[in-house]
Amino acid sequence: MPEPTGVIHDIGYQRYTGPRLGRRHVFGALYLHGVRTAFGLGRSAKAKIFPWLVVGIVLLVAAAVTAIRSQIGEVIMTYAQFADAMSWLVIFFVAVAAPELVSRDLRSGVLPLYFSRPLPHADYPLAKLLALVTALFLLLGAPQLLMFLGGAFTADGMGAVWDELLDLLPGLLYAGLWAVVFASVGLLIASMTGKRAFAAGGIVAVFLMTTPIVGILSVLPSQTANQLAGIASPPTLVQGVGLWTMRDLLVTEDNSADLDLGSFGPVYALVAVALVAGCVALLLARYKKVAAR
Amino acid sequence: MSTVTWITVRGLFGRRRFLLLLPLPVLLVGLAVLSRGLGVAPADWGPPVLVGLGLAVVLPVVALIVGTGVLGAEIDDGTVVHVLTTPLPRWQIVLPKLAVAAGVTAVSVAVPLFAAGLLADSVRLGVALAVAASVGALAYSALFVAASLLTRRPVLLGLVYVLIWEGLLSNVVTGTRVLSIQHYVIALADRLAPTNLLSTTVSVAVAAVMTALIIITATFLSIDRLRSFSVAGETS
Repeated sequence: MPEPTGVIHDIGYQRYTGPRLGRRHVFGALYLHGVRTAFGLGRSAKAKIFPWLVVGIVLLVAAAVTAIRSQIGEVIMTYAQFADAMSWLVIFFVAVAAPELVSRDLRSGVLPLYFSRPLPHADYPLAKLLALVTALFLLLGAPQLLMFLGGAFTADGMGAVWDELLDLLPGLLYAGLWAVVFASVGLLIASMTGKRAFAAGGIVAVFLMTTPIVGILSVLPSQTANQLAGIASPPTLVQGVGLWTMRDLLVTEDNSADLDLGSFGPVYALVAVALVAGCVALLLARYKKVAAR
Repeated sequence: MSTVTWITVRGLFGRRRFLLLLPLPVLLVGLAVLSRGLGVAPADWGPPVLVGLGLAVVLPVVALIVGTGVLGAEIDDGTVVHVLTTPLPRWQIVLPKLAVAAGVTAVSVAVPLFAAGLLADSVRLGVALAVAASVGALAYSALFVAASLLTRRPVLLGLVYVLIWEGLLSNVVTGTRVLSIQHYVIALADRLAPTNLLSTTVSVAVAAVMTALIIITATFLSIDRLRSFSVAGETS
């Protein structure tokens, strides 16, 4: 019987003994990666086309509004109205970014890899949601900052700049409300399918098909139905909350024929909160299943 | 019925996600019935339902999902190779797929639009809307099939057209309506059944010529692109 000639070489495998960054760092890394993904940063030029197209248009509009204001002195839109005017672009941005954030991971089947880390199953969707909210807030907030800078440099005296700032802050809050509502609805739809194409189509379909419902409800022969009409669609829902909380900033002489809330302002706020809470709960439930599989 | 047609139909209907297309037409009919039942004047509910929902949302979105689905999904999966390696002329691949896309879109949009038009005004308006929507379905499908051969992101490109060009720009800059299928459809429907429910700034002659031009150009473009199609991996 021949002697065994095999040799086991020590090729230097070692255990990792350095510090282990905990849950907070996993969450932070996912979040940062999510924000970068939404804008296509760190990816090929093709992935940057659509997000930056939207960013470009939004900034262009802000620049035009600022220029007109400083040259002619006519205020075309206030900071808060800016988000309303850009609603279609916001929908498109959600349709671009949300599938990138969640559908790709579903399609390439890497979720088990994520959940094999010390990552609670709620953290993955929450990090993605927070990333999308941040991206949307940046999309709506940056142009407002541009408008503010334009306004501040043409204003005379520090008092006028202070007034501008007081106008800007509610505008940014309103942009945050837009971001939270649209991100939670959009991400929930995108997390249903691994196909980015279908996710994008679904997001747009859901946001667009609810708008005509508002149109119908607002011509029904019932005043209650008219005043509650805005609840049926996310953009008008957000608008309703905005009108209730900061009416003087959203309503100018030009567009006084807008949404009529009656005394239902608090209802709008409640529905908005319920909508976001419901979407987040469904999102968490959806990832619970993936994690358990 | 050629094999390509058969494969395409099965690809569209064989998956559960095709059910996603149902809510849009159902919503269209539902809103029309609701408004009619509650006695709202057609002049009030006609424009938001017929144009705002039917022609501006349901038609382009259904056409987008179906039109990019017939060829774009196969390109995404890589299964298009199996069709391309058969000794079929390219037009025998593009035309059946286009026909399926246009047919499915036309049926799922024209039927609810006919019902809504009937409830809003008359049988004539219903028929006019159904015919115009079918023509529009063919134009949109040709455009989106071509888009799925020109780029790896056909849905997003289609959304840019539907949302930004037709939705945003043509409301602000009326001149861009000359290049908007939505307004061709409105013009054609208004010509077939003149009512005060539909209105556009595009003339019927322009609409007819441009629709035909878009259908022919997009179809030839698709056939030509498929002729020199390169199979690549997943987009980054």
